[in-house]
Amino acid sequence: MIDALRLTLGWGVAWLVGIAIVAALLRATLKRDGTLAWTIGCGYFAGAFVVTAWMRVLSFAGIAFSIASIALPLVIATAALAWYARPAWRATSFSNSSTTRGERWVIYGVATWLAVRFVVLLLDVLFTPLYPWDAWIQWATKARVWYALGHIVPFARSDAWFAANGALWFDASPNYPATVPLWQVWSSVALGRWDDALMNLPWWLTAVAFAVAIFGALRESGMRAPVAIIGAWIASSLPLANVHVALAGYADLPMAAYYALAAVAAWRWTQDRTFGNAVLALMLAIACVTIKTPGVVWAATLVPGVVLALLPRHGPRIVAIGLAAVLLVLAVLAQTDPVVLGYRLHLDFAPAWQALIASLFLLGNWHLAWYVTIAATVIGWKEIRAPALAPLSVTVGAGALFLLVAFAFTNARNWVSDQTTINRALLHLVPLALVWTMLVLHAWYVRQRSSAATTPVAVAA
Amino acid sequence: MPRGTATIVGDELIVSRAADDGNTVISVTTDFRSRDYPVVAWIAAGIAPGTPVALLWRTDVEPARVNKRVLEIDSGQLVPIDVQGDPHWIGRVVGLALVVQGPIEQPLRVRGVVARPGTALETLRDRVREWMAPEPWTGASINTIAGGADLQPLPLPLMLAVALLMSIAVIGWLQRRRRGPMASVSRAGFALVVVAWFALDARWMVNLVRQAQATASQYAGKDAHEKLLAGQDRDLVAFIDKARAILPKEPARIFVVADADFHRGRAAYHLYPHNVWYEPYRNAVPPADQLRAGDWLVVFQRRGVQYDAARHNLRWDAGATVPVELKLLDHGGALFIVQ
Repeated sequence: MIDALRLTLGWGVAWLVGIAIVAALLRATLKRDGTLAWTIGCGYFAGAFVVTAWMRVLSFAGIAFSIASIALPLVIATAALAWYARPAWRATSFSNSSTTRGERWVIYGVATWLAVRFVVLLLDVLFTPLYPWDAWIQWATKARVWYALGHIVPFARSDAWFAANGALWFDASPNYPATVPLWQVWSSVALGRWDDALMNLPWWLTAVAFAVAIFGALRESGMRAPVAIIGAWIASSLPLANVHVALAGYADLPMAAYYALAAVAAWRWTQDRTFGNAVLALMLAIACVTIKTPGVVWAATLVPGVVLALLPRHGPRIVAIGLAAVLLVLAVLAQTDPVVLGYRLHLDFAPAWQALIASLFLLGNWHLAWYVTIAATVIGWKEIRAPALAPLSVTVGAGALFLLVAFAFTNARNWVSDQTTINRALLHLVPLALVWTMLVLHAWYVRQRSSAATTPVAVAA
Repeated sequence: MPRGTATIVGDELIVSRAADDGNTVISVTTDFRSRDYPVVAWIAAGIAPGTPVALLWRTDVEPARVNKRVLEIDSGQLVPIDVQGDPHWIGRVVGLALVVQGPIEQPLRVRGVVARPGTALETLRDRVREWMAPEPWTGASINTIAGGADLQPLPLPLMLAVALLMSIAVIGWLQRRRRGPMASVSRAGFALVVVAWFALDARWMVNLVRQAQATASQYAGKDAHEKLLAGQDRDLVAFIDKARAILPKEPARIFVVADADFHRGRAAYHLYPHNVWYEPYRNAVPPADQLRAGDWLVVFQRRGVQYDAARHNLRWDAGATVPVELKLLDHGGALFIVQ
């Protein structure tokens, strides 16, 4: 019971400071439908990132990790930001009077279904000691050392480790970013001890907060509440994403969630051009870079969408030229056999089509995600290119291109045929692709409906 | 049991050795009409991938002829075969046999053979059984989810996608004939997608609940350390517990060697925050010239590392020797301090 209280308070502080940050950023738009849910959902991600940023600062300053050193400044920051954002809170409306009785049943039903899923996943998170392989050879290794020592110490490769005479630590991937291990450190600090099951609570919180944020984003895009909550359920129901909650400890689910929300925040900025959305998108994009090594490429895929929004006349040409330049650079690099971000580039186009098709369409990783996404691409081609969705479409396209290059031209294609890394890499893109799919289908439906409303219909006598 | 060596344990035939000619043959006498039961499933486990395996049968129509069809293996199990189209699957089947070619590397467990009718209902039952097969967490779960049985002739996502496409096409065609608004087709399509998605998700939720029950029965009510002792590496944990009691409180340099990648990585994980070094992806020992007095060495289930108690030294790969003192020997592991 004490454990539950300590963990709840610890991560409650992180979530609240994030909500306060997002609310302060979006205070001008907080009363829109869905923005409150978006603020609460995104708040977790902002807070979870800020906690780790603050822990980096503490470590740099030589201050030991403790509840006081980590949480106290965050509580003060929360109070200050909440004070700043308070007029917006007052204006927020919780009314749902526009929904019909049937729609409310849909909302309650889907919410219950989601709640059951999250309760079941929570049991696995709370009971299972750190299980998956990479979690205990390259992620929690750092957390364990940093928690015990009370500050961040550097990890290094073998040769540097031998030369350092005990000043550096070693694990299977010493160069991996620190954000995810710092989550486990914060859990342990809040808990007061090392517990390699309970420290993984942030993975569960990631799933819950992501569902809330996606509901908010879809709602704000104009979908009715029942449709938006169905969208949130669809985005939260991917089996592989669920496994990454139940068997917590990998950085792929956080990578996927931060990337999806960064892309949606950037897209929202292209719509309203508010300072708040720009800062939020930038913060989430920076977080991507600190979660996994490929995060820098995922963050880079946001750039074409921003260019398209900033330069509507010349943007498409610039994006096309940029794309051609990237492909040319890749082709040139591939002749020299370089290693980029751990992937050996080589121009040897040989994708493992059979394994890729099995992964996308036959196995149980994604439910119907790829079928629906392809269908949306076909029927919603007009909407995809429309100014409202084009920036997000370009981002999704850039993300898909990144995966195609990685799995068709690099040594990563070896991981396709044995169904190992392929699905984890796809996981980075699938939640965003699903959100984009729902936005495309909604836009297509709105066009269908409006054209039906304006088309004269023959009336039988 | 015409060829090979086997014993019956419970309801399983455990085959431990092939016959001298390198073949193993398991046969049963049968008597059924071939037309009524065209699908044959051998229930066997422990078959290595790539092993040549075949179904043999004899019929009353051609009693002198032994017929053969090669069987496929998936995840160590034999894939059921439909022999309806085979011209020699005729009359009454009077004998079935399973032949495994080559030596038996690991015990082969055979529970029996089933001949099933190839009716639509039976086929549907098979597919449902495959879709609903429990999929417990394994080391591979973090990378991929099969969505039921490992081998599925008709995966549920594909079946639902085809059904969706056909349903929406029919609705669209009807609506076009009636000259009704296409927006209603999109609404119907949306509803059908949600229903299909829910069907897949309900199957997945059943699996999640089953797994949560299994997890709870293994770990519920245990503290953090008891969970480790109930986990996948309990012997290693027990050894590291004793080693930690001997190791200094302050982080020390510790080298870990073990034959298995798993044991090296897990031992290191349990030893942090000590300053641990090991080869994550190769079964290798540290360079002997890099070890110095005061370093510690954990050896866990590692062949080729020899301790000379008289001379107080360790000898390993390439004849390197390191002066050490043995501090602990327990649970297949040893802890040394370098002198």
